[in-house]
Amino acid sequence: MRRYLTRQLVQLVVVILGISLLAFTILHVLGDPVLLLLPQNAGKEEFERYRHLLGLDQPLYVQYWKFLSRAVLGDFGKSWYADTPAFRLVVERMPPTIYLTFAGLLVALLIALPLGILAALRRHSWVDSLCTAVAVAGQATPLFWLGIMLIIVFAVRLKVLPASGYGTWQHFLLPSFCLGAALAPITMRLVRSGVIEVMNMEFIKTARAKGVAEPMVVVKHAFRNACIPVITVLGLQFGQLLGGAIITETVFAWPGVATLTVESIRNQDFPVVQCAVVMLALVIVVVNLLVDVAVAMIDPRIRAGA
Amino acid sequence: MGRAVALGFAWLLGLALLPPADAGAQTKDDTVVYAIQSDMQNWDPPNSVLRESIILGYHVFDHLAARDLKTGKVAPALALSWKNLDETTWEVKLRPNVKFHDGSKFSAKDVKASFDRVLNPENKLTARGNHTKIKSVEIVDDLTVRFKTDGAYPLFVERLSALVMQSEKAIKEKGHEWMQENPVGTGPYKLVKWNKKQDHLMVRNDDYWGPKPAFKYVRVRIIPEQATQIAELMSGGVDVIKAVPPDQMDVINKSGQARTSTSPILRTAFLQLDQAGRTGKNPFQDKRVRQAANLAVDIDGIIKHVLNGLGDRTATVINPMAFGFDPNVKPYKQDAAAAKKLLADAGYPSGFEVGFLTTAPIVEPALPQTSEAISADLAKVGIKTKKRYVGEVGPYVNLVRDSKADPMFEWSWGYYSIFDADAILYDVMRCTEPYAYYCNKALDDLIIQGRSTLDQKKRAEVYAQAQKLLLDDAAYLYKWGLRGVWGISNRIDYEAPRDEIDRMFLATPRKK
Repeated sequence: MRRYLTRQLVQLVVVILGISLLAFTILHVLGDPVLLLLPQNAGKEEFERYRHLLGLDQPLYVQYWKFLSRAVLGDFGKSWYADTPAFRLVVERMPPTIYLTFAGLLVALLIALPLGILAALRRHSWVDSLCTAVAVAGQATPLFWLGIMLIIVFAVRLKVLPASGYGTWQHFLLPSFCLGAALAPITMRLVRSGVIEVMNMEFIKTARAKGVAEPMVVVKHAFRNACIPVITVLGLQFGQLLGGAIITETVFAWPGVATLTVESIRNQDFPVVQCAVVMLALVIVVVNLLVDVAVAMIDPRIRAGA
Repeated sequence: MGRAVALGFAWLLGLALLPPADAGAQTKDDTVVYAIQSDMQNWDPPNSVLRESIILGYHVFDHLAARDLKTGKVAPALALSWKNLDETTWEVKLRPNVKFHDGSKFSAKDVKASFDRVLNPENKLTARGNHTKIKSVEIVDDLTVRFKTDGAYPLFVERLSALVMQSEKAIKEKGHEWMQENPVGTGPYKLVKWNKKQDHLMVRNDDYWGPKPAFKYVRVRIIPEQATQIAELMSGGVDVIKAVPPDQMDVINKSGQARTSTSPILRTAFLQLDQAGRTGKNPFQDKRVRQAANLAVDIDGIIKHVLNGLGDRTATVINPMAFGFDPNVKPYKQDAAAAKKLLADAGYPSGFEVGFLTTAPIVEPALPQTSEAISADLAKVGIKTKKRYVGEVGPYVNLVRDSKADPMFEWSWGYYSIFDADAILYDVMRCTEPYAYYCNKALDDLIIQGRSTLDQKKRAEVYAQAQKLLLDDAAYLYKWGLRGVWGISNRIDYEAPRDEIDRMFLATPRKK
């Protein structure tokens, strides 16, 4: 386990270095941030002065090295727009995004687990077909459109939920359903195939032969084994979920880090983008690490191997 | 299954335990809610170029002067009066008995501190460029200030409305970093709480020197998505939204919950034609070709049918609301035959093909549609356009600055809220300006003349000449002045502001 963790940590450093370099390069290709920072009617000297102030007149490798040597110490510099430390801006916006992704994950599980198990147990019946149809429809629905439709139905027409915003539990319902609905189909199909596979295994026959009641067979023996691929995929999908959060946060005016990142890219606010990208990468890598650990805990075979 | 249910309960429990949004004491009836698309970056207006900063700044701060929305003229605010003692000296008398939100008294030292702060290059405030014509600020007495300008500065009074008055105490004692999030102003509202990227809550300043706002609270919500803003307006979540797309006006007006209100705004839109040859040799370097382009397009028809009437035809680039606008200069009228003849005279009897750079409808509504309509009209006289599309504002402006635009490209200018012809002519149209693809020494001379005297009559004459020159030389392909569309809840009375600066302190509950 220790060797495994060390390897993961080394990988983490490499991944984050790579991502920050990539973000740095792309940002610099986009163009001159000073153009967006100053009024369009600012004079030439004013632009030059600003470029110098922000260190943009130095060679790229010098700029990257400066960024890196400070970032290692947790100093990502000050946002060029907000004049406050980039790190603080990003960390302040982290919790709403984390809440939203986990709420979305839970909604996905609430939809996917019962439907997936049901579809597996009633294979090739109309229930199974219906579940597949729902999955296909869910996967094909653009997140953006679904969000707007939810708002129109529940906020504008029925007036039972707030259209957007953040703060109370009511504000959570629409966005987390929206995000969860996007993740549910793939999870449901995995649960279905996982349960089908496990149900044909010898130990299920053994359990039945012992006289274990059928619900117990499904929940205790089959489901636990079917969980492994689901958890692995959910871990991998977590990045996807954060991507979905960008759209969901935008539609529902959710004050999270995803919209902050997009806005900072638009403004070419390099320090904030760099910080956000690194922090998000960190979250994804850590979640994947936790998933690996969780799978090892569920599956003794992996634990023994490591 | 049991696990799923347990998870569900855990989730609901988790939500219930989350801290509720600051409930505060305010109720829906004494709060007006205003939506903006993106949050401002700080509460220090001179340190931002965003319109949101200007708008929110108007609520918490005051300026020495502010525009009267009824007359359109700049009127006294924290200044009571101003006069020029000579070409380069202005004396400003200040309003007595005004208090900052921290209780300290507003006086000449605050004016000096505010201007000194923005003018000091070391403070790297982005608004500095707007005020560099001011050389120094002297305190005469507690309520009198004298400004020395670098040469005659006819925009002095206009620009008084462009700098908020901050407290000397905050500047000296609290410092720059603190001021980014803690505004100390004299304005009609005080900031209560700022939840970044989420909302701002302001409460009425009961010591305000001016008229008392009708609503006790203003809540400013950040809602990035336009469709969501409209849904919020129709479900009662917000009271005022701006930049409503023309095709959504009907939806709002038929909802029974809200209505739209439009106003001409200070932005003029036009097509730049590369007379200066910055993109290389091209047909628009010939005056006759530029005239032909202006004659080819049915601008009035496009305003009526493509823009749903949301534009006001302009003869040149000067906005009708700006000082110096001359109504006697009449716009080109569509005349395809005359256009064809001019093209033939210029050596293009069968027309030509030319590049046309255009962008997304971020500043100009329905830009793709209007660009298309203009292309179609140009094609009818033989000017075939090859379109290039760059959607993001930053890269688009970069291309124009770096002489990498096409011989023809979309452009508009918002005057930075200065209602004066100089604000577009000096910043965009001079040969040396980075956005100028038209260069004419005679025009440059007029522009300099217009800003070198304080005699408004003489200035108006100079600008009339400039407009004649722009029209005769067909310097650009002239389009229209933009109109803004606001969505307003039926529970309040509020008018779309012509300077695009929303003032929630003017909103009142609608009488039933």
